[in-house]
Amino acid sequence: MRREYILINIAILVLGFMFISSVSVGTSTALQQATATTTFPITPTFDPARLAQPPTVYPPAQSDTGAQIYWGMCMSCHGDQGQGLTEDWLNSFPPEEKNCWDSGCHASDAPASSFEIPQTGIPSLAGAGTLSRFSNSFELYRFIIENMPFFRSGSLTSREAWSLTAFILRMNDREVEGFLLGDTSGAAIPVHHKVSPPESQIPGTLILVGFLILAAIGVSIQSKQAVPSGKPNFFHHLHPPSIPAIQSRFRYTLGAGGAAVFLSFILLITGLLEMYYYVPTPDQAAISVETIVTLVPFGNLIRNLHYWSAQFLVIVMSIHLLRVTLTGAYAAPRRFNHVLGVGLLAFILLLNFTGYVLRWDEGIHWALVVGANMLKTVPWIGEGLYRFVIGGNEPGAPTLIRFYAWHIFGLTLGMIILATWHAFRVRRDGGIAIPPPAERRENERITRFDLLRREVLAMTVSAVILILFSLLVPAPIAQPISTFNVMKGDSQAPWFFLWIQELLKFGDPFIMGILIPILVVVMLGAMPYILPNAKSKELGNWFPRGNRIAQVLSVLIMLTILVLTVLGAIPN
Amino acid sequence: MKKTSRISRRDFIKFSTNALFGLGGFFGLGGLLRYFNYYPPEAPLEFDLGHITNFPVGSRTVYSEIPAVIHNRDGEFVAYSLVCTHLGCTLTESSSGFDCPCHGSQFDENGNVLAGPAQTPLKIQRVEILEDGMLKLYTKDGRK
Repeated sequence: MRREYILINIAILVLGFMFISSVSVGTSTALQQATATTTFPITPTFDPARLAQPPTVYPPAQSDTGAQIYWGMCMSCHGDQGQGLTEDWLNSFPPEEKNCWDSGCHASDAPASSFEIPQTGIPSLAGAGTLSRFSNSFELYRFIIENMPFFRSGSLTSREAWSLTAFILRMNDREVEGFLLGDTSGAAIPVHHKVSPPESQIPGTLILVGFLILAAIGVSIQSKQAVPSGKPNFFHHLHPPSIPAIQSRFRYTLGAGGAAVFLSFILLITGLLEMYYYVPTPDQAAISVETIVTLVPFGNLIRNLHYWSAQFLVIVMSIHLLRVTLTGAYAAPRRFNHVLGVGLLAFILLLNFTGYVLRWDEGIHWALVVGANMLKTVPWIGEGLYRFVIGGNEPGAPTLIRFYAWHIFGLTLGMIILATWHAFRVRRDGGIAIPPPAERRENERITRFDLLRREVLAMTVSAVILILFSLLVPAPIAQPISTFNVMKGDSQAPWFFLWIQELLKFGDPFIMGILIPILVVVMLGAMPYILPNAKSKELGNWFPRGNRIAQVLSVLIMLTILVLTVLGAIPN
Repeated sequence: MKKTSRISRRDFIKFSTNALFGLGGFFGLGGLLRYFNYYPPEAPLEFDLGHITNFPVGSRTVYSEIPAVIHNRDGEFVAYSLVCTHLGCTLTESSSGFDCPCHGSQFDENGNVLAGPAQTPLKIQRVEILEDGMLKLYTKDGRK
């Protein structure tokens, strides 16, 4: 078979895959909605208390005003708990009105001066799985003001509709206390999460993925070419005319360092894009994230790309660290570059944690409080450290703006400097660690063109995986933190710090939460200086004899962290 | 018989690969443009100003937060936008009418230009008296 035909065959496969994935997205949405069920207490008797007007509160919150309007206008159909017109709710009316329900009227002379009550199809408003057609408060508001009440649609004022929106959010435990919903402010408080990203973005993204897959095939079947002549440019520092073939062998490098560079670039670009819509204030942060995810075109994709790149980066860097250790590659002259690399890992963990806090939702609440209080346990400087990080006596607006500044500038700058230095040292030390020429078993070399081809292929394949993953698996976001004294929601550390959370259960918070993690990082970084190293002729292979102690030590450390993480992830 | 093509296999693959990357970039750029094109919902366009009895005949009420001024001329309500027609500063009240603090434009009571650099008179805005006597101001569809 001619090789060109392979291209066409694979194109058909890709189109088929695109079709299947778009269908499966739709199916999973439907499944999710079908499995969500609602339970309400069943008391099929007339209960005047359930029909009573809600107590007036002074000063009324927006949702209290909404509760009054709901009681007068919506409750008869949608139920006292937003359950909809259920049997139970029908039976809780006094007999004379129940008759009226049975006859389908709402006044003595229906339908002449009144309206017929719909017997079916009145949706519930509260509980899991309801309101799934609305992703945020603005969509819910728009539906209410345009369609409700059904017998006089469009009769609500903007203020009434926003109050009702606030009340429905309260029924769903999604109210943001002290936040006034309005045409300009309340755009994107989450109502219920859409299971899939906005649909118009899926086809475009899949077409992009299709192009990338075809391009990857094109790259992989391109024939080898001679190095193009011409003057060397800046990038030739990273790509010399030719390198030993063993340096680019996947089963030796695992491609982890390159993947880390690629993910870092994705993070820089998507992070810059997120800054267009993210608002770093306590009352707006989570809502602006919600706005990015639900309202901004492709915002969901971009945020998920940022989130998943950050998570994968931690994994990829850990794999890279293990690879370097288990191949003994950090032996002199690469000892210092190993320290730089471990420093990069520490920076990435801090970047991941600050980025995680920027959500400022109930999901990060517990971890922020615990992490901040842990700083206080540092002897002598604890209080000062706490104030330096938190900017006050408890987390608040100064905390968020400081985390934002560190995330987008301070730590990022440090990471860029370290990463550039790290990459420079890789080249200056002669590229990936291999034995000196005399000791090599093979001396085959690949050209710059071939190296670039492999890199482009790896990047394209990674991009396709990352985009598909981001399209299908949403990054978490919960309701905004309203007050720091009341804890709702998830009480878990982010997954990359779960091992520290488990350690904290064993004793003193300073020793377990700060000293041991710092010691682990220092130990990993100091290995080339304090433990025996691999000899130069052993390089280029897995598990050299020279640094066995370091191999055992780092595998033990990584395994312990892995076990603790798994323990932490298991719900109690 | 072997057919020969004018472009070599190598060039064909190279060209189509680059074209696919280009198309991918084109699609990404399209998504990026759409991403940047989002803007939050507009500010409120209607204002409830309260009952007409709060506006006695001949009165002039300034709402600097809208910003607009409401005149009651013998029961006729007229509203002017207090946004300077020059470069959009909010006007302040003066003895002659309204002055712009930014570049010194002056307007009279009826929104006409007394002194430049503004060239056009103040925008008239729609006010309505609802059935229950409440006054409503619309800032969007005011006319010149």
